[in-house]
Amino acid sequence: MQLLGIIISLLGGGVLALIVGRQSAAASRWLSLVSLAVASVFYASLWFDTTDPQATSLWLLHMDWPWIARFGIHLLLVTDGLSLVLIGLTLVLGYVALLSAWHEINHRCGLFYLNFLFTLAGVVGVFSALDLFLFFVFWEVMLVPMFLIIAIWGHEGRRYAATKFFIYTQASSLLMLAAMVGLVLLNLQQTEVWSFSWFTLTQTDTSGSLGMWLMLGFYLAFLVKLPGLPVHNWLPDAHTQAPTPGSILLAGILLKTGAYGLLRFVWPLFPDAASSFAPMAMGLGVFSVLYAAKLAFAQNDLKRLIAYTSISHMGFVSLGIFAWNHLGLQGTVMQMVGHGLSSAGLFAIAGLLQQRLHTRDLDKMGGLWGQMPKLAALSMLFAVAALGLPGLANFIGEFMVLVGVFQVAPWAASMAALGMILAPVYALIIMQKGFFGTAASTQTAGTSNVLDLNTSELLMLGVLVVGLVLLGFWPNLIFTITVAPVEYLMHLGKGG
Amino acid sequence: MNWLALTSLMPLLLVASISVILLLLLAFIRDHKLTCWITCLGLAMAAFWAFADMGDAPQQVTPLLIMDDFSRLLGGTVLLVSLACGWMSYTYLETADEIREEYYILLSLAALGACVLVASNHFASMFIGLELMSVSLFAMVGYMAHSKQQANMTLEAGVKYMVLSGVSSSFLLFGVALIYAYAGNLNIDLLVAAEGPRLQSGYLVIGSALLLVGVAFKMSWIPFHMWTPDVYQGAPAPVTGFLAGAVKVAVFAFAMRWLMMAQGGYLDLLLLGLTVMAVLSMVVGNLLALRQNNLKRLLGYSSIAHMGYIIVTLAASATLGAAALSTALEAAAIYLITYASMTMLAFAVISQLAAQDRRFESGTLAHYQGLLYQQPLLAGALMLAMLALAGMPLTAGFIGKYYLVLVAVDSQLWLLLSLLVLGSSLGLYYYLRVILVLCKTPVGDSRLTLGASEKLLLTLLVAVTLWLGLYPTPAIQWVQLAIQ
Amino acid sequence: MDSQYIDHAMVLAGILFCLGLVGVMVRRNLLFMMISIEVMLNAAGLAFIAAGSAWGQPEGQIMFLAVITLGAAEVAVGLGLTLLLFRHHNSVNVDQLNQLRG
Repeated sequence: MQLLGIIISLLGGGVLALIVGRQSAAASRWLSLVSLAVASVFYASLWFDTTDPQATSLWLLHMDWPWIARFGIHLLLVTDGLSLVLIGLTLVLGYVALLSAWHEINHRCGLFYLNFLFTLAGVVGVFSALDLFLFFVFWEVMLVPMFLIIAIWGHEGRRYAATKFFIYTQASSLLMLAAMVGLVLLNLQQTEVWSFSWFTLTQTDTSGSLGMWLMLGFYLAFLVKLPGLPVHNWLPDAHTQAPTPGSILLAGILLKTGAYGLLRFVWPLFPDAASSFAPMAMGLGVFSVLYAAKLAFAQNDLKRLIAYTSISHMGFVSLGIFAWNHLGLQGTVMQMVGHGLSSAGLFAIAGLLQQRLHTRDLDKMGGLWGQMPKLAALSMLFAVAALGLPGLANFIGEFMVLVGVFQVAPWAASMAALGMILAPVYALIIMQKGFFGTAASTQTAGTSNVLDLNTSELLMLGVLVVGLVLLGFWPNLIFTITVAPVEYLMHLGKGG
Repeated sequence: MNWLALTSLMPLLLVASISVILLLLLAFIRDHKLTCWITCLGLAMAAFWAFADMGDAPQQVTPLLIMDDFSRLLGGTVLLVSLACGWMSYTYLETADEIREEYYILLSLAALGACVLVASNHFASMFIGLELMSVSLFAMVGYMAHSKQQANMTLEAGVKYMVLSGVSSSFLLFGVALIYAYAGNLNIDLLVAAEGPRLQSGYLVIGSALLLVGVAFKMSWIPFHMWTPDVYQGAPAPVTGFLAGAVKVAVFAFAMRWLMMAQGGYLDLLLLGLTVMAVLSMVVGNLLALRQNNLKRLLGYSSIAHMGYIIVTLAASATLGAAALSTALEAAAIYLITYASMTMLAFAVISQLAAQDRRFESGTLAHYQGLLYQQPLLAGALMLAMLALAGMPLTAGFIGKYYLVLVAVDSQLWLLLSLLVLGSSLGLYYYLRVILVLCKTPVGDSRLTLGASEKLLLTLLVAVTLWLGLYPTPAIQWVQLAIQ
Repeated sequence: MDSQYIDHAMVLAGILFCLGLVGVMVRRNLLFMMISIEVMLNAAGLAFIAAGSAWGQPEGQIMFLAVITLGAAEVAVGLGLTLLLFRHHNSVNVDQLNQLRG
């Protein structure tokens, strides 16, 4: 029931925010905060259920109501440790994004918070739905509010970016729909039962060439969302043009839905097809890591640069998943969380800079360290987190992924390790161009009174820093929860 | 004809009596509100009767009409569409400089024709129903001929519709004549079962092909779509709604009876023709829609594309045996119902806007700029309609699209499936364009008012569109009942 | 009628039908277009008569009656539209109908 509580409190909060937003923008902000808080309370109770020694089962929560009886479709909301971690990440980043929206979003607030909370609800649904039909519904529905967030509150090229984002993801998910239907029909043939349930479909025999085609349908949809080369093209535009809270949501959690899909659906449903496709997928992963890192160097636009680094880091995720061993998968989960926190931090900083300087162009920045030391120090921290400094969450993730990949494909691991060398270069580009050196002439003219961080901004970034450091030093916080589900997924994914 | 047959025919009789009552009434009293009320009440009663009869035994009323659950379900749908159309016409006509009352006579006649078409079991009744609908529609499309603002457009649309509809009727009739020459009777489902001096099957092939051409004109399948964009744009908005909703449902219902239920009446040639039209409609329809700048015209191309998608069900019923036939029929019926609900929602919004300012239907999309902030209810409803047409989950459109994908995968129509995916992806672009225009910053401030009855209509249509998407189980059960 | 003659009748009907179709396509005068449509409809009617007589059934003639009725109904509405067109443009040339495009 807690899961439904989380989703409903977010949806209800969104509707209420729209209604009160007509009278007062502040009220809609506070209302969104309250609804997030209510959702967090539900989440906390879920969390305490897991530490309850009696709850030894793998699946923490099981809500199963019939929905469309004709096709055996159920409202099946289930969580295991993996979902729990990702839902937690969603809520934390929800707070961060809300704080960043607090001052940045000034017009049509009610509508903004409606879309904002609906996106969160959609993502929570994606992380917990284990009926494939329901999963697909959440998967698509979270796009619409995100599309509106980019299209209404974004920057100069917002309409183009929003349309591109929507068409890429929607077109690929239509392929997933076809593959999903194919899988269900296959299961119908084998068992003569209509079912969209993950638990049933993982028992379906999907060996053979049909399984490969179906797997590719799923893979493509998740690859677009991840995003991986060569279908990454929507991401730089969408991230750059989205308002800061939108970028935080996109980079922090929407990308993770793609990784989650690969982890939860592609391998367990199609073990044979996935394992024979793995070298190809790892090759694409390596390619993503290196090529996106190279592209990142060429960017002047701060947000665009961060967007390309996201692609590069998600390449590691793709690698870790297709290595499909314990280290690789645990590392992937950690990398997902670490990247969620660090990229959210970087995008938040880009947003703060844009508010202050009215530009995202790195060439027009410079010497900011002197003007706003706190902001610069935190940027440094997020940048080195992204490049994988030991002691922070990303390091653990990337290191484990590489070790895991090395066991199955040394070539992939060694090439991807190059990515870890490239990462410091672009991280340092951000720092050097933006924060060191002399103040650029264009900026000093109008912005002599550039302000350093205020309390609420410090709070926002502080949450992320705490998360990164905590997980960096105490990764078991996550690993103890995810070890059982990862084992189970691996068991399913080994196939016959 | 016994009592039972008569009562089962009651929906048709009710609709027919509306037009008679109105004809008589208008000789004494001219009152727009009263006329509209009578029409809407009559249509509502007829629709209720049709749905209430669901589950009863099929009644063959003379050799011409069959009132089975299929006729009741789709006939009821057509009647509800007509009801929505009559309802939205009230405000639209109130603001027109034109005689208003006769419009409702035409509307009820067109609805009657559509119902006869759905229930027809015989080519003669099919022909009568189709023509009753079409001829009433000529007049409805060209109805605003005396209005200063609209005369040019509406006349042009009316003339174009009349000429092309006449041509299509001729094709259809000639085809039926050839089929009759081959089979020796005019029963739709007895085409091949006939005994007698059998002629060369060339008659059947050519006749079926010509009949298909006639149907294709009405369904606006490419390459027989030429009239569609012009007529959609020029006709008054509620009439366009009727064209997009009721006409398509009724004609396709006939196509289902002819091509899917009449076992063995199928020919490979027809399948080839259908596939070609499906491919063209999905691809070209969507491509042409991309550049449109008038919302009604855009929806015209969108309806071409949607009618292309639905051919998948016809193709599927031909490729597989009886087992898949019921799934294909189910998919077709569900798709028709969901399409009718979302397209009526779109046209209801356009009608309400056009009632206040005709530029909303005749002008460019730019008139809709910023509507989301000026008229949240109307713009929200339009947005929902666009998302539904694009096939987003939780709206009626997704259920329809899901069914099509299911049928296409089940019968392994990979070409049509890939084009369905491609077409839907192209389609997203122009649906999103409309949504983006709605979200832009408004220019000037337009004062639009919305009466209680319009709000109620919109709320009902929104509710139906969402209900079909959120909880389709009852609708699916009804459809399954209807296709047994 | 012998069944071999039905072919002749059908060919005649087919020729009439094509003539009518060509007429609709090449003529620009709305009146003549409507006449061409009538020719097409009556070609279909002829085909019905021939088929009915080949089978020795009344259905063909009944359908012909229906066709005539339809023709009349279409002409009634069509002439109304033609009249309105003439009032607006002072001619019945359909090339003047060029407002709707996109």
